[in-house]
Amino acid sequence: MIFNPGLRVGMSAALVAGSLVMIACQPSRAQGKDSVTICQTLEPTILDPTAGAAAAIREVTHGNIFEGLVALDRTSKITPALAESWDVSADGLKYRFKLRKNAAFHDGTPVTSADVKFSFERALAPDSKNAQKWIFEPIGGMSTPTPDEINITLKTFAADFLDGLTWGDAVIFSEKSVAKAATDPVGTGPYKFVRWNRGDRLTLERNDLWWGGKAEIKAATFRFIADPQAQVSALLAGDCDANTNLGAQEAVPQLMSNPGLKVTVGRTEGETIVAMNNAKAPLNDIRVRKAIAMAIDRQLVNEGAVSGLGTPIGSHFSPNHPAYLDLTGAVRFEPARAKALLAEAGFPNGLTLSLRLPPPAYARRGGEIVAAMLKDIGITATIEPLEWPQWLERVFRTKDFDLTIVSHVEPMDLNIYARDNYYFGYTSAAFREAFKATKQARTEAERKAAFEVVQRQIAEDQVNVFLFMLPKVTVVKKGLSGMWENWPLPSNPIAQLTWQ
Amino acid sequence: MRRALRHPSFLIGASLSAVIVFIALVSLVWTPHDPGQMRILSRLKPPDASFWLGTDQFGRDIASMLMVGARNALLVGLVAVGIGFTFGSVLGMLAARFEGSLLDDVVMRALDFVFAFPAVLTAILILTLFGPGLVNAVLAIGLFNIPVFARQARGATLQVMTRDFIRAARLAGCGTASILVRHVVPNILGLMIVQASTQFALAILAEAGLSYLGIGTQPPNPSWGRMLNDAQTFLARAPLLAIFPGMAIALSVLAFNLLGDGLRDIIDPRLKER
Repeated sequence: MIFNPGLRVGMSAALVAGSLVMIACQPSRAQGKDSVTICQTLEPTILDPTAGAAAAIREVTHGNIFEGLVALDRTSKITPALAESWDVSADGLKYRFKLRKNAAFHDGTPVTSADVKFSFERALAPDSKNAQKWIFEPIGGMSTPTPDEINITLKTFAADFLDGLTWGDAVIFSEKSVAKAATDPVGTGPYKFVRWNRGDRLTLERNDLWWGGKAEIKAATFRFIADPQAQVSALLAGDCDANTNLGAQEAVPQLMSNPGLKVTVGRTEGETIVAMNNAKAPLNDIRVRKAIAMAIDRQLVNEGAVSGLGTPIGSHFSPNHPAYLDLTGAVRFEPARAKALLAEAGFPNGLTLSLRLPPPAYARRGGEIVAAMLKDIGITATIEPLEWPQWLERVFRTKDFDLTIVSHVEPMDLNIYARDNYYFGYTSAAFREAFKATKQARTEAERKAAFEVVQRQIAEDQVNVFLFMLPKVTVVKKGLSGMWENWPLPSNPIAQLTWQ
Repeated sequence: MRRALRHPSFLIGASLSAVIVFIALVSLVWTPHDPGQMRILSRLKPPDASFWLGTDQFGRDIASMLMVGARNALLVGLVAVGIGFTFGSVLGMLAARFEGSLLDDVVMRALDFVFAFPAVLTAILILTLFGPGLVNAVLAIGLFNIPVFARQARGATLQVMTRDFIRAARLAGCGTASILVRHVVPNILGLMIVQASTQFALAILAEAGLSYLGIGTQPPNPSWGRMLNDAQTFLARAPLLAIFPGMAIALSVLAFNLLGDGLRDIIDPRLKER
């Protein structure tokens, strides 16, 4: 190689100039930053929130790619989304939604009342995979007098109809593009789907034609990092601008002391439970379930699994709801009584149960602690770690399990206890009656009373062991604001983010 | 024997191995605390008089867990190497005895096939297919030890078979089985033991690796590899948590490797001179 001294001088000068420009640019670049990388633990299995129960689908798509008629804001208030306004008849049976005239799908087709009708009928269809059919079941009829107006008549009064429509399961599709929704979604939201590198990341870009105007963030990437420690490293290395819910709760003090990051500990709507297979012996015996509940010290599980950041619960109900009843004292930690109860149920020498655990740290760590506590009363819980697809198949779908630990992150999801064929196999006519009453309650007081009955019922039947509400540990880079600090619904609306 | 006592790496390796074996044996009857007992409120404590090496993220005694972990590591090494040693030696000797036959070709090509895959990757595949756990991990590691021993046994047997006393035995009317057992085995055993010692270290390392990935030993059974993985999340808060299991793995691998090296030099001094 012939070396040219002149070239060398020139190159050095360019390098120096380049680095000066870079130094000069750094603060202004942060100011003008228009992209964001959001890291989260779980990767969605598909991208259609109406065809799968996994929260990860909603965390990526809901409020970004897809929208419903109405939405929940960060304070749990119902706000307009695709419907700019609505009114309800005095008997609570007739809803009239006015759609936004300037709402359109990402492929340019305008959103019409026919799309709403199509989406809800699709959810109700016998072959629908919608995980929350109860939202739509009260619907008796729908009419579309004009393209921007839809009337919905309910068969029966449902106090939670509008609540349900804020869920990711009630988002609006266009008949034209719905077939590809699982892998190439076309929605109405402020962000368009660009690319999905499975196992790694998913990229979105701003939809400049969104009815709500242009969002500030132009490009957004969701990165999926399952390992809790890798999440911390990625934050420290600056690879993530935000982590929606940090897996490594024990790293909170370390991250809080980092001047470049902002950490908040909020709440999710995730009731974390030791789910028991109520349909299968020996857990179909309430004495065995009660014994298991008595053997578990939930405060210690909270400490060991999520560094004590969770809120203990005694039933499947969020303390954030006004009708919450504190039932944490209903079953106390009494290993001696648990042992006696187990003997009474026919297991004086203990028994062996499977404990199949999904990947999140709360489940894996919680599982080890629960197994150690159960060992003290003679129950051998055989731990088996599963990946999410395996868990969904073996535990959730085919119900091949005795015990599992999982967080139910949807808000107000008591209805799962009234479902046929749900994975933990609870079938109680009394509960179903009581649950119906919550739907038919007309006044707030009536509704509160009805909710107290159902909370008591599942606690008494000891359907599952109720541990704690999962915390939401949100970490963002200094300068990024607008991330939800609580999760009234699993959703991360990017349009609400700004860089300062 | 005198040679052994003068050999430094053998001495270090043998005494370290003896300490590890001793600790593992003691753990059968005594540990400072119950290794499975959690004290969640006193988690991540630094070492003190009661908890010699501190407590882990669930408040379990690390010293006790390391002791039981040693037992598990040795057990994995013994069984996995045992599988490889037994099947490998038999297959290797048979292949050598019938050198050039169809049997030799089939056996050795099949073993080459196993050998061609990276051991740990295929162990991960096996554990994913048949489910995670200690037993499957041991079987997977054992499987990969077979070709190692078979190649060694075949080579050594071929050498021995050319010797005069084998010819003499054959002339005297000894059958294949009798020749292999009475004359070949005693002559190749030393070499095989050296190999076993090295493989033992590798087996311990493989088990630690698989458990680190979460597919080896399952909780609550303590494993050095999993302790290391658990410690990772707490590195910033309790760095000692990772150091102890890490040292245990490193020391035992070192111990059995030195032992193997030393044995080789002692049994076959010519190898050293070369």
